[in-house]
Amino acid sequence: MANGRRQKRKKRIGRMSVGDWAFEIVNHTLLILLVIVTLYPMINTLAVSLNDATDSLKGGIYLWPRKFSLENYKFVFQESNIANAALISVLRTVIGTVLTVFCSAMVAYTISRPEYVLRRFVTVIFLLTMYFNGGLIPTYLLMRNLGLIGTFGIYIWPNIIGAFNLIVIRTFIENLPSSLIESAKIDGAGEFRTFVNIVLPLCAPVLATVALFTGVWQWNSWFDVFLYNSSKEHLSTLQYELQKVLAFSNASMQRIDFQAAAAQGASYQKVTPYAIRATMMIVVSVPVIMVYPFLQKYFVKGMLIGGVKE
Amino acid sequence: MTRRRWLISFMCLMVILALVLTACGSKESTETEQTETPSSSPSSGQETEEKKEEETEKPKEKVTFTMFVAVQGKKDMYMNETKIGKILEEQTGVNFKVEYLVGELQTKIGTMIASGDYPDVLVPDDGIEAVVQAGGFIDLSPYIGNEKYPNINKVYGPIKERMVWDDGTIPIFVFSTQVGEFQPDPGPNMTAFWIQRRVLEWAGFPRLKTVDEYFDVIERFVKAHPDEKLIGFTTLTDDWRFFATTNAPNHLAGYPNDGEVMVDLNTYEARIYAGTEWDKRWWKKLNEINAKGLFDRAAFTDNYDQYIAKLTSHKVLGMCDQAWQIGDAQAALSDAARANPEEDGYRYFPLPIVFDETIKDQYLEPVQFVKNRGWGITVKCKDPERVIEFVDHLLKEETQILVKWGIEGETYLRDENGRMYRTQEMIDMMDQKFNEEYGFTMFSWDWPHWGTASTLSDGNAAVPGRQPEIFELSLTEADKKFFQAYGIKTYADLFSPPDERPWYPAWGIPRGPEQQLFEQQKADVQRKYIPKLVLCEPEEFEKVWEEYVAELNKLDIEGYERWFTEEIKKIMETVKK
Amino acid sequence: MDNNLALTKTATSTKQKPKGRKSFFKLLVQQRALVLMSIPFVIWVIIFKYLPIWGWAIAFQDYKPAKSFWEQEWVGFEHFKFLFTNERFLLVLRNTIVMSLINLVLGFVTAISLALMLNEVRNMAFKRTVQTISYMPYFLSWVVAAGIIQNILAVDGVVNDLLKFLGLIEEGEEILFLGIGEWFWGIYGASIVWKNVGWNTIVYLAAIAVIDPGLYEAAEIDGAGRFRKMWHITLPGIRNVIIVLLIMNIGYLLESGFEPQYLLGNGMNIDYSENLDIFVLNYGIRLYNYSLSVAASIFKTVVSFILITAANSIAKRIGEVRLY
Repeated sequence: MANGRRQKRKKRIGRMSVGDWAFEIVNHTLLILLVIVTLYPMINTLAVSLNDATDSLKGGIYLWPRKFSLENYKFVFQESNIANAALISVLRTVIGTVLTVFCSAMVAYTISRPEYVLRRFVTVIFLLTMYFNGGLIPTYLLMRNLGLIGTFGIYIWPNIIGAFNLIVIRTFIENLPSSLIESAKIDGAGEFRTFVNIVLPLCAPVLATVALFTGVWQWNSWFDVFLYNSSKEHLSTLQYELQKVLAFSNASMQRIDFQAAAAQGASYQKVTPYAIRATMMIVVSVPVIMVYPFLQKYFVKGMLIGGVKE
Repeated sequence: MTRRRWLISFMCLMVILALVLTACGSKESTETEQTETPSSSPSSGQETEEKKEEETEKPKEKVTFTMFVAVQGKKDMYMNETKIGKILEEQTGVNFKVEYLVGELQTKIGTMIASGDYPDVLVPDDGIEAVVQAGGFIDLSPYIGNEKYPNINKVYGPIKERMVWDDGTIPIFVFSTQVGEFQPDPGPNMTAFWIQRRVLEWAGFPRLKTVDEYFDVIERFVKAHPDEKLIGFTTLTDDWRFFATTNAPNHLAGYPNDGEVMVDLNTYEARIYAGTEWDKRWWKKLNEINAKGLFDRAAFTDNYDQYIAKLTSHKVLGMCDQAWQIGDAQAALSDAARANPEEDGYRYFPLPIVFDETIKDQYLEPVQFVKNRGWGITVKCKDPERVIEFVDHLLKEETQILVKWGIEGETYLRDENGRMYRTQEMIDMMDQKFNEEYGFTMFSWDWPHWGTASTLSDGNAAVPGRQPEIFELSLTEADKKFFQAYGIKTYADLFSPPDERPWYPAWGIPRGPEQQLFEQQKADVQRKYIPKLVLCEPEEFEKVWEEYVAELNKLDIEGYERWFTEEIKKIMETVKK
Repeated sequence: MDNNLALTKTATSTKQKPKGRKSFFKLLVQQRALVLMSIPFVIWVIIFKYLPIWGWAIAFQDYKPAKSFWEQEWVGFEHFKFLFTNERFLLVLRNTIVMSLINLVLGFVTAISLALMLNEVRNMAFKRTVQTISYMPYFLSWVVAAGIIQNILAVDGVVNDLLKFLGLIEEGEEILFLGIGEWFWGIYGASIVWKNVGWNTIVYLAAIAVIDPGLYEAAEIDGAGRFRKMWHITLPGIRNVIIVLLIMNIGYLLESGFEPQYLLGNGMNIDYSENLDIFVLNYGIRLYNYSLSVAASIFKTVVSFILITAANSIAKRIGEVRLY
């Protein structure tokens, strides 16, 4: 079957019309333009991060560093807590993502069942949460009363299900041929079995998407660390540690510290927020960016349903 | 049947996960709490016991207090991780776990107040009004003027009256203190009109005083260098830093930085300078400069990074700003000049520019009293007495020498006359990492201390940066040439000495919600109209000015001025007492 | 088979409506597995998301964090009045809505177009490279991204250099892009697309991935060309996802984001860049006026609820999938 398809594809290329050629050219040109435009900021950021910080102040760094230096990276990694923070980041990302994906998918499955009596109720009660929040202080007090402050749980429990993910997964499940689910039911499988054995594998693309959304969110978030766990070093995350480094590099811009530095007769520090921000971006985003290619296999057209049918 | 088993096992999984997460979280949190309480490590625990045995009558257990500083910019640390801090711990048995702000101040302080989860000691910075309102601090008045604490008394006794807030309590030990004689800052650390040093040299080191002279030199220099694409004058406008732009007319009129108002020396009337003739004169001047093509067109769109980039690009000849805002640019230019003396001309030199010959410049800051910046003990403090004892120890002269100058032989020396100084090697050794590990960074600010301009009992400056011997060491050959040409010994010599202004700085007077609202509204009007005033065609200037003033007049200027005048008169009364 | 699957869905869902209370409970017992799979999470959502709503009362108080809830001073609709009668409010609201619509329309059109374009690429390596690179800017924080945008649009930036190179402007006539208020929305739109298009595409790529390949094969046998397949198979295949996302996003009409406007805004474009969130930051949070920020967020929530209800019922009326 796969072989046959490949042959067909070859044939198709062979008889491409002028219109097809024109489309190919336009399409590829546009995509290459997009690549240039979207690659530039990364390259630029990388260049700034590898450039001497004081030199970067002059501006005018585009594609490569002008005065190569690893000082910025040294400065970022000097934080002694960074290994532990990275571990916590990985933990919260992995645990948070697995839990979110599984729980969201499960609830999404129930509200995708047309016969479920509470379907509308459950849908609406989750949906509404997308558009309101109780505000910072009530939320903080709730977390405090739940005893989550100063614990690892604060990264996980408040984020188990996002309404957006829930609705997206539900939409995908509804798009699946209903015959597949019905036939499972006829075979005597219960709801949970159907969900685990039939729906979950069929939803791989959307679950990969939701996993990516959640994972990136977990990986990048630092506000909850700042709000709830800022005095617990052992629960600090990579993002938060880097925010600290950034705040630290801001020091020279603050009046009081300027006075203090001048008072010591000391020379200026050699890092700048501009350079540190760039370095942080690279340190934080490169691991995430590298995950994506691995997820891409779930986005291959026709892989799934084709597989089930055969 | 199978279905149920699935469900049950899943539920079990959830429950186990829940238990694991909360359990591991709470276990870890009790662990840290343990480190926060007396014995932070086995060795220190032993020491405590030894000490206990030694001083049986007054057992001092080791204790660690938490301290939160609502200012970004330093590394979280235990005090005893620094060399100085370790000595202090040995002397007092007190240790601090110091945490600095990372995110937004309002958020952190807001949740702190709402939940009542204060640290033992809090430096609330801009959040002070909210914390005081919430009754978050203990009253310090019993500890000031109390013979049990002579050192606190020495520093805070003279200003005790002024530290009292509206509710009759003293919530914080302010940072702006003054012990002994006033030591002026010799360095270029003031607000000023800055000019590229090569311009001055090219013009033969003229003594520039008025705005017209200042721009005249710039104009001539630009005309003489047509190929360099020079920018005559720029100004900083990014976000909150916009004040660098709006403060200029105040300084040109001969007033120091009192925030939004200028205060009359005789009547103590506070007046807002936005919308006054002074204001108009400055924007009109900039408008003219712009028409001549000397003003930086991009000044109102560029952000701070771009501003710094412009200053380091050698193209900008002048601007008016506070020294700390251009610190990064100056540092970069100085580094370049040190490597290649020919580039010295691109550094900036401060000038005391005013509107007219007759005006006395007031760029230099008089003795300060900032009532709303300081260090307070919160109502959640485990043992306020112990903290106060520590403060008293910290304010001892020997301790102040330790935290600001360091240890004799290591970070400073004394000559035969008892003058303290540092060698070039010492200064070179004291890079950022060294200062951090030694504790200079931690104690440079954020603690009750002898103010920056204080003098030790033997006549040395309380902080090294104010010691002339230290300053002289930092001068380059080129600096010396400038100093000789202008006949000065320090940068401060260029400026007029500051008049006495007991309320200075007026922006340090705690303000209520109405005043804060007014300031925000005023800033919004200025943000919108100042670019127009400067960039419009000269014939349109009057029209735009009218609009601007009309918008300002919609605000409660009178109420704001009245409030400030009252506050300043109150201060004068307490001072006179 | 290439019919819309949702049609069968709506048909089945209307079939089983509980008739009376008794049959409702009977159904509930019958469907206990589904109930067990969802209700624990409903309890979760009530605790974590609905409990803090008591905080809304703050909007009707002169809230001081220091006092307990019952000691607060009640001020009625004072904060709402401040918000709605402020002379900047209408301007700020206009900017919010316009930028949010720009975001919505451009966001959807570009992401769907990119998904379709990628779908037409046969070279896997090329496709994956484009995908991976195009989603990179999403990971830049807005501070860094805004810095790059500012540099590109600066007087000595790439865009002005290009215009000079093309002879469109002379030396000294460089355009101050961020200084022209009217242009701000365009710059905003372009920045949003640039930063998010790759990321927004992912969900559509996932949707395309589950389209039955048999449909394409059948169409090919019928001799359908590239565009016909795109129009008759790919687009209908992801239509439900598009509509559901669209309805959800319509609810965010008053959420036009905060950082790009704040970072790219300045005194010269303030009349076009300032949006509701910036206004609330300046007059609420920065002045410790928590009440005002809560009042603003209640206003936003009410508008959101009205909008999604309307959008959902329109979708229902024209026979599309609904959100609930």
